[in-house]
Amino acid sequence: MHIGQYIPGNSVIHRLDPRVKIGAAIVLSILALQGGSFTETFLSAFLIALIPCSGLSVYQMGRAFRSVLVFFALLFFVHLLFTQGKPIPPFPPWRVTVTYEGLYRGAVTTWQFALLIWTASILTMTTLPTDLVNGIERLLRPLRRIGVPSYDIAIMISIALRFVPTFLEEIDRIKTAHMARGAAFGSGSLVRRTLAGVSILLPLVLRTMHRADDLVVAMEARAYQRGPRTYLKELSMTWADYAAVIVITAIICLHMLCP
Amino acid sequence: MIKVTDVIFQYDKGGEQILNGISTEIKDGTYVGVIGPNGCGKTTFVRHLNGLLAPTAGEVWVEGMRTADPVAVRKIRGQVGMVFQNPDNQIVGMTVEEDVAFGPGNLGLSSPEIGRRVQEALSMVGMERQSKRSPQMLSNGEKQLVAIAGVLAMKPRHIILDEPTTYLDPSAREKVLQVVNSLHKDGITIVHVTHDMDEIAQADRIIVLYEGRIAMEGSPSQVFGRVEWLKGLGVGIPKIAEILWGLRKTGLHVRTDVFSVKEACEEISSLIRSQQKPH
Repeated sequence: MHIGQYIPGNSVIHRLDPRVKIGAAIVLSILALQGGSFTETFLSAFLIALIPCSGLSVYQMGRAFRSVLVFFALLFFVHLLFTQGKPIPPFPPWRVTVTYEGLYRGAVTTWQFALLIWTASILTMTTLPTDLVNGIERLLRPLRRIGVPSYDIAIMISIALRFVPTFLEEIDRIKTAHMARGAAFGSGSLVRRTLAGVSILLPLVLRTMHRADDLVVAMEARAYQRGPRTYLKELSMTWADYAAVIVITAIICLHMLCP
Repeated sequence: MIKVTDVIFQYDKGGEQILNGISTEIKDGTYVGVIGPNGCGKTTFVRHLNGLLAPTAGEVWVEGMRTADPVAVRKIRGQVGMVFQNPDNQIVGMTVEEDVAFGPGNLGLSSPEIGRRVQEALSMVGMERQSKRSPQMLSNGEKQLVAIAGVLAMKPRHIILDEPTTYLDPSAREKVLQVVNSLHKDGITIVHVTHDMDEIAQADRIIVLYEGRIAMEGSPSQVFGRVEWLKGLGVGIPKIAEILWGLRKTGLHVRTDVFSVKEACEEISSLIRSQQKPH
């Protein structure tokens, strides 16, 4: 299971307009990083409250964190050991030691990143990739006036996402072909294994270029041109979306008013 | 109608001439097979029919529009759809319905209209219940059907298929050919490039390309009747005709312009019966 993979559902959060969700995720992420004890506490409570609203189980949310646990541990320990301050007995008063301040900073920073991952996960777990891209395109569309090609960016993201599983299959196929000819992937010295890994790179790149060539022709054959196009799903805001915008705005105000 | 007049094509100035003067007409609603040895220019030729390539000299007209005209090209591509050989490298969408919606989206149709067309197109190829699936979950055959649906959603009058069954297993091939035949029955012009003569044995017309020129054009009977000549070019004939031709060579009197299993059985059984006549 990939980090934050979409989980089908029909919750309130699932049904929100992707633009609102993306905007909310950005806002909440910025607030999480800005800090302030009240904000952090409030955000934590808010995000916890979102779990049932999105129809996700605590277990599913926990799985989203599995891949980043190592990073969190590293982050925590770096802060724990390298922050100046009052050492916690029985640790010695050296420059690199365990301090109270370190404990506090470690905990706070790690928690901030946890909130970030949490926010992003709720976004990706309740929004179909198709809708995410659609949302990004609509949000970028007004920036076309200053030269941001929203339609083109959306197509690029869309195609990239579509081909990720295909690339994984391709890598597997090339690896198998090489193994059949005696390449060492699981055994042998580190150097040998690294070289074996690198040997996949060239065929992969070549095949990808070939694919891109074919794809371009196929897209042109279906009358693709850069610029404006229409979609199967046209996004529209409902009362629930407006309510969500109000909630997020309220959170921003709360943050600005409280220390 | 698609009209090709004296088309010459080379990729770069002074480069090799891939097409050396091709003139032909493809009438509405006909099923045209395009055959020829590797490198004869089949793919280059058919890519001129929807404006993917513009002739170095000569002209191609589709429904009264010139393919070299950059303004008309979008409309032309809506009229002439194309399905390619590699099933994977045609699918752009993250789901089946999103991919089928790509074409109509390029034409700027409204969302409700796109929705209708996607449903219709998927039904025509029998994939309507797979609309939410993602491409990696599909077999090659299903991907080709999605590719065909993606083209159908643009409501073209003509569809070009460039060796569409190369990557398919026999049952998938069967299904795709079935769909193509039913599209032909609905009045869509089919231009089918292939190396497998059995696939186009029932076509209305066959175009034989050789070294960038049309070496011969005619009905399947006319074209596949010239067995020795075709073999000389490096092109085969339908297996059924091959069997009858083999029988002919042993001195038996059989027709060789027979391309369906049913007719072949009738021909062979009447031959056997005439041999069995009491003296």
